[in-house]
Amino acid sequence: MRAAVVIATKDLRQRLRDRSALTIGLIAPLAVAALMSFAFRNADTFHMNVGVVVQDRGELASAFRAGLSGPELRDLVSVHVVADPRTAAKQVRDRTLDAAFVVPVDFTRRTLAGLPAEIQVLSSTNARIAGQVASAIASSFAAQVNADRLSVATAMAAGSPSARLDALESAATQLRIPEQAVNHPTGAKQLKTISYYAPAMAIFFALFSVGFAGRSFFAERREGTLDRMAAAPLRPSTILIGKVLSVFVYSLASMLTVVGISGLFFGADWGGPTGVVALCVAMSLAIVALSALVIVFARTEQQVQALGSIIVFTLAVLGGNFITVSAEPALMRHVALLTPNGWALRGFLDLATGARSAGNLVQPVVSMLIFAVIVGGIAIVRSRRVLSP
Amino acid sequence: MSILAIARTAGLRIVRDRTALFFMIILPIVVIVVVGAVVSGVDRIRVGVVAEDDGPVSSALVAQLRANRSLLVRDYPDVGVGKTAVRRSEISALIEIPPDTDASLRRGATVQIPVYANDVSQNAQAVDAAIQSTVGAHGALVQAARFATVQAGGTFDANLARARHAGATIPAVAVHDIVVDTKSKFLPNGFNYSAPTMLVLFVFINSLAAGAAMIETRRLGMYERIAAAPVTARSIVLGEMLVYVGIALTQSALIIFVGALLFGVHWGNPLAATALVFTWALVGAGAGMLAGTLFRTPEQSTSIAVAAGIILGMLGGCMWPLEIVPAGMRAIGHLTPQAWAVDAWTELLSRGGTLTDITRQLIVLIGFALVLVTISVRRLRHSLVT
Repeated sequence: MRAAVVIATKDLRQRLRDRSALTIGLIAPLAVAALMSFAFRNADTFHMNVGVVVQDRGELASAFRAGLSGPELRDLVSVHVVADPRTAAKQVRDRTLDAAFVVPVDFTRRTLAGLPAEIQVLSSTNARIAGQVASAIASSFAAQVNADRLSVATAMAAGSPSARLDALESAATQLRIPEQAVNHPTGAKQLKTISYYAPAMAIFFALFSVGFAGRSFFAERREGTLDRMAAAPLRPSTILIGKVLSVFVYSLASMLTVVGISGLFFGADWGGPTGVVALCVAMSLAIVALSALVIVFARTEQQVQALGSIIVFTLAVLGGNFITVSAEPALMRHVALLTPNGWALRGFLDLATGARSAGNLVQPVVSMLIFAVIVGGIAIVRSRRVLSP
Repeated sequence: MSILAIARTAGLRIVRDRTALFFMIILPIVVIVVVGAVVSGVDRIRVGVVAEDDGPVSSALVAQLRANRSLLVRDYPDVGVGKTAVRRSEISALIEIPPDTDASLRRGATVQIPVYANDVSQNAQAVDAAIQSTVGAHGALVQAARFATVQAGGTFDANLARARHAGATIPAVAVHDIVVDTKSKFLPNGFNYSAPTMLVLFVFINSLAAGAAMIETRRLGMYERIAAAPVTARSIVLGEMLVYVGIALTQSALIIFVGALLFGVHWGNPLAATALVFTWALVGAGAGMLAGTLFRTPEQSTSIAVAAGIILGMLGGCMWPLEIVPAGMRAIGHLTPQAWAVDAWTELLSRGGTLTDITRQLIVLIGFALVLVTISVRRLRHSLVT
């Protein structure tokens, strides 16, 4: 074991002398995580400025206008009265307003007379969500008006005499739609962008160390130092363990530093260090297993480079390091859980959203360890053939 | 002639590398598919439904939710599983239809439909609004059926059928959505979004990574050997540049053809698109050659290239539209060539732009290319003549 540690220390020292190790292991992931945190700073809250043009003087128009400023919508919209539809359209186009409502002339009269009537919602193709929300606000208002008209029409269709029409209309205004969607919090913490992408980037760049051990191995073979090691009383697996041990230390240190700095300075939160450390250790072991696999399957330094890059990018794309995999189609989510980084990110996601039960941590850690054992096992079996003199 | 020979040799060395093939062809296509699949669904809001009641009135509500075109409805076996899906952002909200919904509505009671969503997000408001309007529309039918039953007699079910029929025939207060502008600042969704942004991202990253080949050439002393022949430094520089432009163009062509043939991507005005692809190839070539003259080892070049390419891509709007980021970030983003290229593609794909509409972007990109190429050519010439 001592020999393996000596080999690992030497590899690590060599690795750290190269400036790209610092760039890939620390600067790049931190830069990307910080960028993402700044880019999505405003995405966590939603408030919109809506314009309202009331061309009708009737009671329904007043009710609509009052509803917009009511307590239910206070947190969601700020209402600005606009003189005419043309100005409102211009302001929506200029993004001064996120959307606007127009209640046309005669809206109340037409509605009460049972004639077709409409509320117009002006929106921009560049503010689609605001448009959808505005449209839904108008629909909610229209729904109650329509429900009352529908109630009267249904009662008439069910045989109510036409002499009772006025009485029915009067009674219908007292009705309230008997189904209400009521918001309940899930009890989970809101996922911050940085809490997902800081570990995503830390893992992505740590994955690059998959090729480090292999390159150093073949460089030693080229320079003849490997033969000299083989002459010493060392088992082939000791050399392999020494090589991959440096990968373990490097990737673990890199991930913990990036994740730690993101927690301290960028507001990422995973609720204490235990889970974070467990996930990083398990992920580092998976990276170690992959490094060993690359060494035993590649025949040249170029092949190490090629295999390493392919593994890094395939895992990163499928595992969800670039795109929040949970938002993807269900199939993508299942594919992500075939990768160790997909499991690590699932673990970080659970920690970040407050699901901190042991089960939420054990499943990803065990899955990564199983991956490491299978891949590492293949590497060890093959190492006898490859490393034996 | 010597320029072509130098370009051919350098080109062959890069193409024979199978990793290059992976990065040039397979990876961009995989990423286009993944990103395209992810963003193609963003127009519809993913919601979950737990139907704890299977009576006809509750089932009709679920059916109405499914019929809402702004919602993509998935079933969940229980509230716990559904809430986990909300927490993991797999769905934006979970709608629970409580066990006695049907009976309560028939009885004349008011039913609350719990909607579980994350506290605050842009999406949450849109989700809330979409769910409210569907529940409201369904509730209107129930209200009408109950009202008719009380006022005119008959059964609830018969009156519900009457309400459905009346709802389809009487004029209702409508909500008329008017989009006031047609020119979008965003790329279209789906593959039309992922293909052009990934073209910008990968052509740049690949060109940068190809700088490794130039470092290898330097390390092997091949430039000295070429220089020993009656070849001017200028020919070597031009030969190298030809390779980098060639690589960038080949990759662009591949992404464009695969995008058009497999995913039906419409690349906009052909003349303008061609001009943009060529200009972007020049920017890539300049960046690649700069990487080739700047770094000492091929490893440095490839690893830093990837990091730099991704960071610039993020800043420049390849990963998300710059329209959604704060103004300061948008301004910083436009210090990268990527932002100008993505802007130009947006103009071509979303607004039917022509060559004249992207002149400004092309001029800026040519400026970037000139700076990068000039610096790298000077560095390369310097290393050749000293």
